[in-house]
Amino acid sequence: MSAGREAIAPDEIAERIRHYIEGKLPGAQGLQLHNMERIAVGWSHETRLFDAHWSVAGEQSTQGFCLRRDPGNALLRELSDLGDQFRVLQCLEPTALQAPKPFWYEADHGVLGAPFIVMEKVPGTCPNPWGREGRAYYEAAAGRGVLPASFTDTLATLHTIDWRRAGLDFLGVPAAGTSEFALGEVRKWRRLIAASGHGPEPVLTDLICWLEANAPKTERLCFVHGAYRTGNLLIEDDRISAVLDWELQTIGDPMYDVAYVLSDLNREGSELLSNLVPRDDFYCRYEAATGIEIDEAACRYYQLLYAMRSAAFWMSASGLYAEGRSDDVRLARTAWSVPVVLERAARDLGY
Amino acid sequence: MTPSDLLERMAATFKGEVGPAIEAEYPRTQAFLSAVVLQKLAAQLRLAAEHGAAEDLARDALRRDLEQLLRETEAPLPVRDAFLALAENGDDGLCQFIEALYAAREELGETQFEALLSRVRQTMRQTLNRRMEYAA
Repeated sequence: MSAGREAIAPDEIAERIRHYIEGKLPGAQGLQLHNMERIAVGWSHETRLFDAHWSVAGEQSTQGFCLRRDPGNALLRELSDLGDQFRVLQCLEPTALQAPKPFWYEADHGVLGAPFIVMEKVPGTCPNPWGREGRAYYEAAAGRGVLPASFTDTLATLHTIDWRRAGLDFLGVPAAGTSEFALGEVRKWRRLIAASGHGPEPVLTDLICWLEANAPKTERLCFVHGAYRTGNLLIEDDRISAVLDWELQTIGDPMYDVAYVLSDLNREGSELLSNLVPRDDFYCRYEAATGIEIDEAACRYYQLLYAMRSAAFWMSASGLYAEGRSDDVRLARTAWSVPVVLERAARDLGY
Repeated sequence: MTPSDLLERMAATFKGEVGPAIEAEYPRTQAFLSAVVLQKLAAQLRLAAEHGAAEDLARDALRRDLEQLLRETEAPLPVRDAFLALAENGDDGLCQFIEALYAAREELGETQFEALLSRVRQTMRQTLNRRMEYAA
C-alpha cells in the first residue's frame, strides 16, 4: 500500500465506515455520512473527517467524527500504535486536558483494510506553521495574546495531569532520579534507525554515543506529549480546543516537551516560540502554572536528542520510499534532510 | 549533455510545466517534490567525483593522524582493533572506531579521548560540509 493512494476506492471506504458506525449505534436508523474529507496532514496515519446523522425512535442525532487509519507504512513504523493512542485518549477523557473524545478502536483489518480509531471531530482549525498562510495566522494570533497564553496553559495542564490516577502508567514508568527516561528514548530512536535500513552515519554514531554518555537524570515524572507545537494543536476562537497527534506520548521528563517548545526547529526564522509565544512569557507562565522550573541544561540535552529523532524520522521516511513501501515523493526527498539535521547536531556538539 | 544536466532539465520541466498544470493537490505536490529530488540528485552527481577524491584524501589523513596519536599512548585493545579496521570498512569502520572511543573513554583518559575524538570530528565536519553543498 502506498501513502497518498487508496487501496480501497473512496466511495467504498465511505460506505464501509457508514456500515461500521451503524453497527456501533444500537437502534440507529437512516444513518448518513456527510462532508467526508480526507485531510492531508502528517505523514503517519490517514485522517478522515465527516458528520453523521441518524435517528433513534424518531429522535434526530448528529455527531462529527474523526477517523484515523494506520496505512501500514507510517513514518514511525512499529513505534506508533493506534491501540495505544485510543487508550491514551480514553485515559485523558476525565482530565482537564483538551483532547478528542475517543469512540471506538477497531483492530480487525477486515473492516477498512487496516486498524483504525474513531473519535470526536473537535471544532477548530490547525493552520500549518510551515506555510506562509500559517505563519501569518500565528503571527496575528501572537499579537492578540490569547492564543500564546492558551498554548502555554495547555502544556501546563498536560504536565500537571495526575497520570497514575488517569491510568497512563500503562505507557511504562521510568525510575525517577535516574537517567532511565532519556536512555529509553535513545533506545527507541535507535530502533527506528535500525529499521530504516539506512547506511552508517558516523556523525549520528557520535551523537548517539554523546547522548548515552550525558543522559540527564529525571527527578520529576510527568505525562509528556512528545511533539507539542503549533501544527499538532486545534484552535478555536484563539484558544486550544484539542491537543492532537498522540503518537509519541510517554511518562518522562517535562523538559522533553519544554525543549521542543524552545527549539528553533519549530519557529523558522521567528523569535516567537512555535511561531507564537514570546520566550519570556512562556517561561513565566509555564513555571507559575506548573511549579516546575525550566532546566536549560536538560533542554539543551533534549534538543540534541531531537536531532537524533529527526535523523531517525528522515531515515525512516526515505527508507520507506527506498523499500517500495511508499511511492510518496515527499519521503524520497527526506534522504537529503539527514545530512542537514546531522550538520546542525555537529554544530551543537561543537564541531 | 551530462547526466546531471539531463536531471536539471527534467527538474525544470517538472517545476515549470508539469506541476503548474496539475490541479489536484496530492499529484501536484508530487510533481514539485520530484523537481526538488531531481535537482538534488543532479547536484550530487555533478560533485560526486570531486567529493569522492576529497573524501579519500581526508580519510588517509585521518588514519595517519590517528596512528600518530595512538602511538603516543597505550590505547586499549578494542580501540586499536577498531583503528586497524578503519582502512577497509569505510563509514561502518568509522562508526565502530567512534563507539570504541566512547567505550574506552575512562581507560584512555579525558585528554587522549578528546584528542582522538576531535581529530575524527575534524574529518566528519569536512564530510558534512561537502554533503551540505547538495543537501541544504
